Amino acid sequence: MKNLLQKIVGRSPWLYRINAGSCNGCDVELATTACIPRFDVERLGCKYCGSPKHADIVLITGPLTVRVKEKVLRLYDEIPDPKVTVAIGVCPISAGVFRDSYAIAGPIDSFIPVDVNVPGCPPRPQAIIDGIVEAIKIWETRM
Amino acid sequence: MTDIFQPIFVLLIFPGGLFALTFGLFLKGLDRKIAARLQRRVGPPVYQPFIDLVKLTKKEMVVPETAHLGGFRLAPLLGFAGMMAAVTLIPIAGVYQGFEHLGDSLVLLYLLALPALALMVAGSASSSPFGAIGFSREMVMMISYELPLLIVLVTVALKVGLATGEVATFSLHKIVQFQLQNGPFLFDYTMLPALVAFLIFIPGNMGVLPFDIPEAESEIVEGPILEYSGSGLALFNLVTSLKMVVVLGLGVALFFPTPLSESFLLNLIWFSLKCFVLMIISITLVRTTTGRLRIDQAFKFYLRWPTVLALVSLVLTLLHR
Repeated sequence: MKNLLQKIVGRSPWLYRINAGSCNGCDVELATTACIPRFDVERLGCKYCGSPKHADIVLITGPLTVRVKEKVLRLYDEIPDPKVTVAIGVCPISAGVFRDSYAIAGPIDSFIPVDVNVPGCPPRPQAIIDGIVEAIKIWETRM
Repeated sequence: MTDIFQPIFVLLIFPGGLFALTFGLFLKGLDRKIAARLQRRVGPPVYQPFIDLVKLTKKEMVVPETAHLGGFRLAPLLGFAGMMAAVTLIPIAGVYQGFEHLGDSLVLLYLLALPALALMVAGSASSSPFGAIGFSREMVMMISYELPLLIVLVTVALKVGLATGEVATFSLHKIVQFQLQNGPFLFDYTMLPALVAFLIFIPGNMGVLPFDIPEAESEIVEGPILEYSGSGLALFNLVTSLKMVVVLGLGVALFFPTPLSESFLLNLIWFSLKCFVLMIISITLVRTTTGRLRIDQAFKFYLRWPTVLALVSLVLTLLHR
């Protein structure tokens, strides 16, 4: 019974994007090519939602700058459980080209539990969708 | 005993309640699938809304600290109750007469205002600034699309009433019966402007793309339902799908109720097909091909075109008796 429920629920992950001081490259990948219009994650049952309260899978881009840290942590707390975090791009892992800058508070996984990393600058749409599929698998076990 | 059980059956199983919920969610799934195909995507499976519903009931429900608890909890129930009652009023020719004891098309008009009202209560009770913006926009939208709908209803009522010797017939059952005898209003040129006005009214009432101003996702992050999660959000989803059945069913009853045959099941499938075609024309095609308007543009648009079209129909009806 629980298994069936997991299978059903795994078909409906809603996505929410957080921009943690990203240069917008990954966000453009997410918003315009990877997900909805071109490569279509909606076939997996995903839907972009505007509100963190509706989200299941959080996509975080950017190196977590000092100015944006508090807001990102607050947004993350507003997302109802169970949730899965996917870090998109190389910035959340190591801050990428912004490494050692005075303005960076990251890496993100020292503040937020990150479940899936999708490296790349920016990552290819296929890689992002692959990361989302991995996240769905983790999310099913948390239901 | 049957007197007691019949309303309960009508309200909870068929055509209200269970049937309407399934039908509405299925329509919503078809809408998403077809919209995706129109945009050259694969799209979600048709049963996606059912999955979303199951998922939402499994999620945690977060209530903001500053929210007004009573209003926040009651708002989705208000809309849901209103729509459950409204479905029972929709007649399906050859299948179901409409629940005459409850009321006529005027009662339906008031019940149709309830989901919008629920959104307003939700928006203001959730204590979010986006909710407040959504609240004021929802109110403006309601004022703008309610007037053409009222004129359309009055036109149909006058058309039937003048022909049968009463002044105006607001009973949906009598309107359907009249069309079964004298041909549907779809093929009556005096009613065509009213039909177009009704088609324009549907996207405004459903809050889909050119007129999804109160719930604009990319602008005010879904406005009134921003703070809802889990089962509260699931209820709001049910309200929209029920409203879809009510509005489309009303359109079918007002303009093309003609049944296919004597068979109960065939008539039901025929009704569903008509609702489906109406949905594609007035919701799916519109929302995939247009961008969002500003609230003042939508207000002017509704008070100009649908109202004028509906008035043309009204005048033609009065001249042609």
